[in-house]
Amino acid sequence: MKKHESSRVQLLNVVKSFGDNTVLHGIDLDIQAGSLTTLLGPSGCGKTTILRLIAGLELPTSGQVFLGDEDVSVLSASQRDVAMVFQSYALFPHMTVGQNVGYGLKMQGVGKEKREQSVKEALDSVGLDGFQPRYIDQMSGGQQQRVAVARALILEPKVMLFDEPLSNLDSKLRRQMREDIRRLQQELAVTSVYVTHDQDEALAVSDDVVVMKDGEIAQQGTPKELYLQPHTKFVATFMGDANIVQGEVIAGGEKSLLRIHNVEIATDKPMSTDLISKTIEIAIRPEALSLIPADDDAAGLPCTIVSRAYIGAAIEYSVKWNGQELFLVSATGNQEFAVGDTAKVLITPPGIAPIPE
Amino acid sequence: MNKTSASSSLSSLDFRTKWVLLGLLAWIIIPWKGLEYGLFESTGSEILNAYAWKSVNTSFISLAVSLLFLLRPWKLHLKANLIDAAVSLVTFIVILFGAGLLNESLGYSAAIQLTFFLLIFSLALARMGFIQGDPFMTTAIVTIMASIAVFVLFPISTIFSKVVFLEDGTFTPMAFYKNLTSFGVARTLQNSLMLAVAVGMSSTFLGLCFSLFTVRITKRFKGLARIFSMLPIVTPPFVIGLSLILIFGRNGTINDGLLALFGTDGLFIGAGNEGWFHRSAYIYGFWGVFLAQTLSFTPICFMLLVGMVSTINPAVEEASVTMRASNSQTFSYVTLPLLRPGIANAFLLAVISSLADFGNPMVLGGDYDVLATEIYFSIVGAQLDYARASTLGILLLSFSLLAFVIQRQWIGKKSYVTVTGKGSGGYFQPLPAWVRGISTSVSLTWMLFTAVLYGSILLGGFVVNWGADYTPTLAHYEELWARGIGYGAWPSYITTLKFAAVGAPLTALMGLMIAYVTTRKRFIGRGVVDFSAMISFAIPGTVIGISYVLAFNTAPILINGTAIIIVISFIFKNMPVGIRSGISALSQIDKSLEEASLTQRASSIRTIFTIVLPLLRPAMISAIVFSFVKSMTTVSAIIFLVTADTQVATTYIMGRVEDGDYGQAVSYGSVLIVTMLIVIFLVEKFIGRSRVERA
Repeated sequence: MKKHESSRVQLLNVVKSFGDNTVLHGIDLDIQAGSLTTLLGPSGCGKTTILRLIAGLELPTSGQVFLGDEDVSVLSASQRDVAMVFQSYALFPHMTVGQNVGYGLKMQGVGKEKREQSVKEALDSVGLDGFQPRYIDQMSGGQQQRVAVARALILEPKVMLFDEPLSNLDSKLRRQMREDIRRLQQELAVTSVYVTHDQDEALAVSDDVVVMKDGEIAQQGTPKELYLQPHTKFVATFMGDANIVQGEVIAGGEKSLLRIHNVEIATDKPMSTDLISKTIEIAIRPEALSLIPADDDAAGLPCTIVSRAYIGAAIEYSVKWNGQELFLVSATGNQEFAVGDTAKVLITPPGIAPIPE
Repeated sequence: MNKTSASSSLSSLDFRTKWVLLGLLAWIIIPWKGLEYGLFESTGSEILNAYAWKSVNTSFISLAVSLLFLLRPWKLHLKANLIDAAVSLVTFIVILFGAGLLNESLGYSAAIQLTFFLLIFSLALARMGFIQGDPFMTTAIVTIMASIAVFVLFPISTIFSKVVFLEDGTFTPMAFYKNLTSFGVARTLQNSLMLAVAVGMSSTFLGLCFSLFTVRITKRFKGLARIFSMLPIVTPPFVIGLSLILIFGRNGTINDGLLALFGTDGLFIGAGNEGWFHRSAYIYGFWGVFLAQTLSFTPICFMLLVGMVSTINPAVEEASVTMRASNSQTFSYVTLPLLRPGIANAFLLAVISSLADFGNPMVLGGDYDVLATEIYFSIVGAQLDYARASTLGILLLSFSLLAFVIQRQWIGKKSYVTVTGKGSGGYFQPLPAWVRGISTSVSLTWMLFTAVLYGSILLGGFVVNWGADYTPTLAHYEELWARGIGYGAWPSYITTLKFAAVGAPLTALMGLMIAYVTTRKRFIGRGVVDFSAMISFAIPGTVIGISYVLAFNTAPILINGTAIIIVISFIFKNMPVGIRSGISALSQIDKSLEEASLTQRASSIRTIFTIVLPLLRPAMISAIVFSFVKSMTTVSAIIFLVTADTQVATTYIMGRVEDGDYGQAVSYGSVLIVTMLIVIFLVEKFIGRSRVERA
């Protein structure tokens, strides 16, 4: 299939209420043309509502939605140049695969021959050419998923919307499908908005991730930014595992220097000089921690091993330091510790993010 | 995209002007006022006088507003759409009420113009963003709300106003109290309630026995169960009563038999001696109606309970047995309590059906008055006591609504069965011997009895005079069917088919639309539609009948005596059938299918036609068939509304019953039953089941 003309998506101060219940509180969101942006958050955070607002299945209570330069805030779904892949796939059970994929073109009055050609191309792009005469109930879950994607692609939309598209698949198929979706999206360079509550999925497919909480955007950034530099405790703990510890700011400015217990850590993160000598919370990824024997000279946090679990490629430890439990992962092959042993926790960047809330 | 929205606003501007122009055309060429004798039987001058421009009347309001719409002086106003909506709605209401006050009955042109004002109102609302600016859905919702207001809420309100206003219009709130305490009302109410409770208990018991019998005791009668579930649908409500008369009546089989044994010159009585048995009319009264209603409503209870009995998870009974409970204990402490919500539900449904039943008490009641028949007797013949009829109507409506609300709010939501999820296999424990004994004997007796009754209906038409002369004859059928198309049963039979055929698709459409908008759309006023739809389930036919008589016998909507009012009464009486099948079908259809269609650039109207309707096809067919069949068997509402010209099958049969002509009555009844069975069979056979249903 040829490359689509894709557009930027913008939400300006969008509020959405259902009766007394306000689910989005003034969302400002900018999604670059051609990117794949994931909306990530716990259920009820409003991510699906944003997707439906972009689709036109809901209209904003106030605020504006732009597709490219055009204000589409009051246009209904059928008037917008978007396509959506639904969580349940929403394939029409009374139509064949071919009819399903060709539905949108038929609605626009595209002739039969041209339609069949496009259906063939769209199905081919998801590896299902030849399945046109089948009915939906004769397709497996993964195949249905592909049909849904083909049906969305065929309209060459300026924006593609994915509403938890993989949640009905088993984990092996999920990994395969998310790679396929990402590959197609990059080939076509179509702006895509992708809703999921699975952070692995979000990290794997996205150019940009928008983390949401309680109807507001908690943070937007690349997967790496969000993982390594979360702005809030919520983002830190939602994006992977994080240990939250107290630490003191030693120096601020362009780069900052932090101290946890007796361990000093330099970060690339700018920090206001007002915070110097204040105590703040710091999120530390499990990979940034490692264990060394208690009698080692290096600066570390003295701890006791509480539990350990062998998970194949690594060993996961829970250790107690200063009344607080820390979680860390140590590659197999490193020195092993038994439950009850005393040890020291070494802290090595990256994976350390101060959260000055 | 900008171009599309610009062109769509242009076309809907055209739309508004178009409707106004069409309305003006109707104003000129079609009579505004209602014609007392219909379009085809009125004289030329009557038709001429009905034209809008022949006299000063409310049509000039319509004319003025239409001209105003053509000018649209507010078109540049920021809230032009709001003004459009307000003006058209106000015009609609003012014309209706104005015509009512001026005692001016509205006719074809008025109906057309009022419809156009509603259309303009809907479109204006849509452009204000109602239902996300969807003109089709908005029009549908406005249409539904307007027709519910005019044909449900307005008539019901007239029975309330009838009891507090005297004939001359003075407001006397105490009149209701006076009517309520007048002679016979309390007794009638007590009779109705006693009968309803008794019938509720007996049909629930029978229904439970038969469902245990078919699910847990033997599979042999599975096919019979299907027949039994169809019988109440295709049996006119009074036919059971009629067959009871054939068996138990004064000249019934039982009396005949006893007479032959113990009567004068009987087998056991010496020649010349006076026998000690005489013909008696014991079947008329409480016990007759009780028996007829029990037989009529047991299948309803059975249908409800059989579903519950078969979804009980066998594992819970197995669990009970592993904890040392005997079969009898398991039944009493596990199985029966699990069925409790279903039993309560079945009981209340039977109560509601008994309260509403008109045919059986009419045929068998004798001196035993119930509300449904008393309403009718209050206004037929010389009585014409509308206030009394309304009072009784209000009582009947209140009690059936009460039962319905309890059923829906309190019990309808309780189900122990569904929460257990998927059955985990396992085997049902055998029922205790006493349960097997009771339900087997009760079921077999009931089946035999029902077979005898239906047999008597079928055979009763082929003998000269059941009870007196059993010589086989075709005389009744000849009398009804062989005297030419304009005589005997033909006119009423054809009228019935015609009305049912016109009403059924409209009923299904209305029901499905209501189901669709109340389950799928959020809009202001949804609560009202929901509530009205709900109460329509509980309004007894007699109450519809009396309220229609009161509401549509005067201006502004004078349609009594016409075919229109009969079709309309069919639509609103049978609407629940459509709503129910619509709701259950829609709950099977994922909402995202429609959304997927919308995101595929299909407009909402195309989505309805390409996605929703094809998927609703099975529900639509069953709703059409059921409302067709129900229209053919209904008697309670329609008996108030028919005239000599609009006589239908059921009222014709009731007439034969009143004349004591049971032979003709039952032969016509059997023809009706066979007709309906053929219709159902043909539909199942030829329209068949769609792919979705199989999937």
